[in-house]
Amino acid sequence: MQMALKIWRYDSSTGERALKEYEIEAPEWATLLDCLDIVKDKHDGSLAFRKSCRMMICGSCGMRMDGAAVLACKTRMYDIAQEGRVPVISAMGNLPIRKDLVVDMDPFWSKFKAMWPWLEPGYDRPEDGREYRISQERMNVVHKESLCINCGCCVSECNAMESDPEFLGPQALAKGMRFVGDPRDGATVERLERYNSEHGIWDCTRCYFCNERCPKGVDPRDAIAKLGAESIRLGIDRDMGAKHAKWFVRSAETTGWLREEELIPKTQGYVSAIKQLKFGASLARHGKVRPVPIPHTARDVNEARNLRKVVREQDRQGALGHVQGEHALAKLDHGHQSESLEQIYDRPGASPRPFLPGEGSAEGQGSLTQADVTPGKEPTRKRGED
Amino acid sequence: MSEEGAHRGQLAADRGGSELPATPRSSEPGDVVGEDADVDRVEARPAILEPAAELPDVPAVGAPGRLAQGGINAALGNASEDDPEVHAFDTVKGSDYLGDQDAIQILCDEAPADVYQLENWGAVFSRTEDGRIAQRPFGAAGAPRTAYAADITGHVLVQVLWEQVCKRDIPTYEEYFAWHLVENDGRCQGVVCWDLLDGGLKTIGAKTVILATGGAGRLYVGTTNAYSCTGDAMAMALRIGLPLKDMEMMQFHPTTLAPTGVLITEGCRGEGAYLLNKDGERFLKRYAPNTMELASRDVISRAEQMEIDAGRDVDGNVLLDLRHLGAERIIERLPGSRELAMTFLGVDPIYDPIPVRPGAHYHMGGVATDVWGQTELTGLYASGECACVSVHGANRLGGNALMETITYGKRSGRHAAEWALSHTTVEVPESAERDAERELKALLERGDGERPWSIRDELATTMHENFGVFRRERQMQEQGEIVSGLRERYQRVLLEDKGEIFNSDLTQAIELGFLLDLAECMVVAGIERKESRGAHARPDDYPDRDDEKFLKHTIVRLVDGTPQLSWEPVRMTKWEPQERKY
Repeated sequence: MQMALKIWRYDSSTGERALKEYEIEAPEWATLLDCLDIVKDKHDGSLAFRKSCRMMICGSCGMRMDGAAVLACKTRMYDIAQEGRVPVISAMGNLPIRKDLVVDMDPFWSKFKAMWPWLEPGYDRPEDGREYRISQERMNVVHKESLCINCGCCVSECNAMESDPEFLGPQALAKGMRFVGDPRDGATVERLERYNSEHGIWDCTRCYFCNERCPKGVDPRDAIAKLGAESIRLGIDRDMGAKHAKWFVRSAETTGWLREEELIPKTQGYVSAIKQLKFGASLARHGKVRPVPIPHTARDVNEARNLRKVVREQDRQGALGHVQGEHALAKLDHGHQSESLEQIYDRPGASPRPFLPGEGSAEGQGSLTQADVTPGKEPTRKRGED
Repeated sequence: MSEEGAHRGQLAADRGGSELPATPRSSEPGDVVGEDADVDRVEARPAILEPAAELPDVPAVGAPGRLAQGGINAALGNASEDDPEVHAFDTVKGSDYLGDQDAIQILCDEAPADVYQLENWGAVFSRTEDGRIAQRPFGAAGAPRTAYAADITGHVLVQVLWEQVCKRDIPTYEEYFAWHLVENDGRCQGVVCWDLLDGGLKTIGAKTVILATGGAGRLYVGTTNAYSCTGDAMAMALRIGLPLKDMEMMQFHPTTLAPTGVLITEGCRGEGAYLLNKDGERFLKRYAPNTMELASRDVISRAEQMEIDAGRDVDGNVLLDLRHLGAERIIERLPGSRELAMTFLGVDPIYDPIPVRPGAHYHMGGVATDVWGQTELTGLYASGECACVSVHGANRLGGNALMETITYGKRSGRHAAEWALSHTTVEVPESAERDAERELKALLERGDGERPWSIRDELATTMHENFGVFRRERQMQEQGEIVSGLRERYQRVLLEDKGEIFNSDLTQAIELGFLLDLAECMVVAGIERKESRGAHARPDDYPDRDDEKFLKHTIVRLVDGTPQLSWEPVRMTKWEPQERKY
């Protein structure tokens, strides 16, 4: 198929930057990575991009297409080519560009390493010298986080990092959750203290771009939420972010609605709130906040209270309050709920159903036997002959 | 692999904000340098603790070992009764009796403790009902022996090893492209590298060097291997006169996706998937009636190729049918395979079988080493796929690659560390970079010639055609001529990127040179092995295994620039060769 790509070229040694267009001939199955290979092979050998596995597991080929982070090897180009669109390819965001689509990953790794990204074994080492005994259900708590391939797509898209480059960021924090949620780890409190510090979990703006753009379904924002929940469960709640979150729960549980005017004193403290009275009044004058409502209890307050009750009864405290497990991973759609195997076999256009030789109806299968395993005289032909 | 006692209080104090590795300096001596990115490279270091370094040419966590999906074999006995002795026999038989039995015994004996170590370090294995490491059946194994983490086992293990590297603060030289070995005073004393990110030759002096660059699957057009699997270490060793062993033994994996060879794990068949021809027939009944889809890989790849050659194919493929496993099991146990099939083929295995065919997967051959990973050259070690101990002989069993990489990576690291601790000097002669400088100059200054891709594509296509699942005398001879023609053309290979920063045009051209050297060795060995054994199948002229003449390893080394073949006996202990049936 014919298609065109526009690529932002950049050379950090000269500072030259240019948007170049390439028209290429690519096979219909081509991914973005295949297209870049064609550009490099046949159009411009100086194009720089990282690649390795081309099957979505090494995390090398994170980049942006039309402004959104993608794994090049996971991005099929057929539809784009058919539509005649010319995608714009550029390097990932939030990381310094070295050349063309290659970014400097050092800032990424220094944040990764700041998480203590290794297991700190707890006190209960397996006595028999074998493995820790852990249920699959318990292991599932960190399943999503352990899918991370360190590609940097989430970091590229992180809005909080754009305004605060020191923010630990979605990848590092998801890595943190991978250990906080691991029953074998014995440093939960120390970790949470650290992740709660400046540039930590509460600086996330909850824009959800990391969840949206992660090519592996890690859902880093969910991991950050789990870290927050675990922090509060363990009483690590000095940060304004934690206090803010707690007030939402408290407010909903007591009166069934959010008492916003109490939010600032509860979050920032009374001194800070008083200092901001003038600012608040100015907001009110411009209609930015509603008038203070008469204190009351919402009619349906019991719904809010029952929610809390359910959580308590199921003992889903902290991170366990989030949906867990491998089923939550299946982000790809599948409508299998009601279909039996027979129905699947009978679907229009379905492949023939399996049968064993001698039991089925197929014809002309020859009489190959065990002897053919180390092949004898069975005539073979090269593909394409006859 | 000693585990330091982790002290909680200390953790906050001295690990906070750990720095990135120090900026590498030219000729900075280290005790042990591991090359390239693969599971074994990372594994070697924790056995040593300090100071050591590694230099992956792709970022460490992008290591090819990460591609391994299905699992790692160890006789833990978690799913049924098992014994290292049975594991060893399965491996010997799987190797078509070409594996060295002492090396196999070591592997199988040490495997369980090594898997427990990985788990204790935090590897996220799938679990049994009673909370132990889950194990599933794999091909040609007498018990469900393959420990797994869904179908991303390699990824999980690379992560856990990388975590341990971070914990020990081991310097890493990321994206240093290893190019030449420094040989001085009868020892290997370092590596000459090209700094991919910043440009320039950088030489790292080291008392010991461990080669761990993985395989050379890129020799083939359809391969499961990453782009970085270009056999670098094998070629580097070959060029300084070291022997390569069993180079003709390239394994074809039975379930890879057209057109590029993306891997669908053997774990699918371990979970019960069928292989069907176009009619829906489970054709393996005719080839391996006892084990069916769980026969060994060479057997299944040949059976598939014969079905395809006999016209019972679907566009050059057979069908991997998971439908009867049900959506739940597919999603829970094989989510990665489903994602791959959906992404690359638009096929959802819940509803439709996945078209698959054999693709180049694993090189059983490699740099010849002893059971401590030592090569012929003092101070130089090799482990993992680039090495040939030989554990896999003529055919590797699924799940044994990760295990070999872990166990022999550990052994190499330990031995290299002990050696480094008892020797003090590192001397890198002024002339160490001379070869690299000369080649670099030639490559960068050449003004006209041929772009590497046409040579690369021709090599990969012809190797697939002439040195694939089945081998024939005439085709192998022809391939030998093709390769020497390509080598000649390579002398005029043309770079378009002359810059310093991330010049992958340069490194890819160098890799092509490595591949061409290896192709030559493979063809030489393949022609001379006049029998059918494991991955080396010669249906026309030598359809049977010939233990009398060929129960021995091929050894290829360069003499005056030309590959010379010799033979070496297989180290046998207690298993006499038997007929191999599945």
